[in-house]
Amino acid sequence: MDKIFAIVKKELLVYFKSPIAYIVLIITISVFNTFFFTIIDQNKEATLRDVFLVMEFLFMFIIPLLTMKVFSEEKFSGTMEFLMTTPTSNTQIVLGKYIGSLLFFTSIIVFTFIYYLIIEMFGSPDKLAVLTGYLGIWLEGAFFIAIGVLTSSWTRNQIVSAITSYVILFLLYFSMIYVKYLGGMSYDIIHYLSTSTHLKNFAQGSVSVSDVVYYLSGIMLCILLTRVSIENRI
Amino acid sequence: MIIVQKVNKFFGDFRALNDISFEICKGEIVGFLGQNGAGKTTLMRILTSYYLATSGKVEIDGNDIVRHSLLCRKKIGYLPENPPLYMNLTVRDYLKYSASLKDVEIKKQKMQVDRVLDDCNLKDVQNKHISILSKGYKQRVGIAQSIINDPQVLILDEPTIGLDPLQILQVRQLIKRIEDKRTVIISTHILSEIEQIAKRVLVIKNGEILIDRPISVLLDEENISRFVFVVKGDRNEIEKVFINSKEIISESFDSCGDVHSVKVKVLQNWTNHNELIHKIIRAKAELVEVKKLKPTLEEVFISKVSNQYIK
Ligand SMILES: Nc1ncnc2c1ncn2[C@@H]1O[C@H](COP(=O)(O)OP(=O)(O)O)[C@@H](O)[C@H]1O
Ligand SMILES: [Mg+2]
Repeated sequence: MDKIFAIVKKELLVYFKSPIAYIVLIITISVFNTFFFTIIDQNKEATLRDVFLVMEFLFMFIIPLLTMKVFSEEKFSGTMEFLMTTPTSNTQIVLGKYIGSLLFFTSIIVFTFIYYLIIEMFGSPDKLAVLTGYLGIWLEGAFFIAIGVLTSSWTRNQIVSAITSYVILFLLYFSMIYVKYLGGMSYDIIHYLSTSTHLKNFAQGSVSVSDVVYYLSGIMLCILLTRVSIENRI
Repeated sequence: MIIVQKVNKFFGDFRALNDISFEICKGEIVGFLGQNGAGKTTLMRILTSYYLATSGKVEIDGNDIVRHSLLCRKKIGYLPENPPLYMNLTVRDYLKYSASLKDVEIKKQKMQVDRVLDDCNLKDVQNKHISILSKGYKQRVGIAQSIINDPQVLILDEPTIGLDPLQILQVRQLIKRIEDKRTVIISTHILSEIEQIAKRVLVIKNGEILIDRPISVLLDEENISRFVFVVKGDRNEIEKVFINSKEIISESFDSCGDVHSVKVKVLQNWTNHNELIHKIIRAKAELVEVKKLKPTLEEVFISKVSNQYIK
């Protein structure tokens, strides 16, 4: 536990020292500014629902940038050799790395909470829907991060890591578009695999076990695969 | 302390290590010597459990390196060939991080960090980012990291590569200071390096151990002595003296004005110094200085590798 904590601390320290943290923060906030006020303008009844869907789209682009260096950089700079020869288990390493990125992402989410407070001043939003929406976007971010950490463990090249993440995220996100005309089983499966299906539920204030299971199992799978991947050094 | 039995390592079809076996006792200081690509790094990576051996067995202090990997890693301090540094951490933060990953008790972490900062002369840069340090400092941070948990075994992969002479000296002194009571393995492709630090050498070539002997024995085995005669006088006369002496195996001249420094090789049991000195005086030359040169590991190495093994 101590070691996971040490890794988390170091990851956060490095995040907040790198320009990417601030770039991501600025992008998130400015995109929010724009969309938030357009949305409030258009449908007078203030709701964060659409903002969550925008967030989802935005995080799909941003999260690979946050996670691309998690393992790639260590592999590239040779610090992986240090990390892997300390008496730290692979599980501790993967969890420490994952939780570090997750906490950084969480801090961005917390930032956006200010918007919620503004909305509360302007009208009376569906408080429950906002809460579930936040839970949904957080779970989805957590899933995207798990994917990003996994692809980062596959390569020593950060760009390759980011591109691989994009491919996977786009497939998950846009899969519904391609299967609109499919029917039966394959439709159901892809419908379930698509991330946007689940987030819509959360944004509307309805949380089902199946949505939560979707994200949690996705996260666990990625973490396990990452563990296997770093074990496979030559 | 360290037992290596029939270790092989393949990268695909390429055999990087070929049936390596040796034992290293507690407190021994051993050098791995070999040209680039000989397999030193690969062997060290197996000892530190970064790589898995394709076959064979490694034990650290009685523990199998595969089955009790974490336990073994706890006992080892390792400086990889490229010092593993987090460029945007400060020296102190990095050492604190190493301490917590290497099971230093939380209460003792600060003390240990201060101790290695002291040992490695890093006090004045402790709050600087590693990225801005010079190469010599970076190397010392790498070494500091390797001793943060007082490991029983210290494995250093080419610790002085790429440093300037002063930095090499500093790193060498540092290693001398920290090797106390530890088992140390140090690799290098520079012979003089090992001669000054290690007590025993393993010469590695193409993934095999060519020689495994204490340095003193290795040096004694060489049955040739070398002398330098510094002589003042006429070059032709002096050359005649040396070339006509039958016991001298080879000689080389290095002249500066009428002062000549003559390097000669003779068999180790050579005793006719006096006769040669008389001849020099008879040639109307003045003998300024005579020095016996110790054989260097370099020469031994070259003679061994070229005569006995490359056939
Ligand atoms: N990860 C690897 N994949 C493939 N070949 C490797 C790998 N690491 C080392 N080698 C090869 O193994 C040989 C020994 O390399 P190395 O142990 O680095 O030598 P040294 O440290 O003595 O210079 C070299 O021929 C090198 O190309
Ligand atoms: Mg090497």
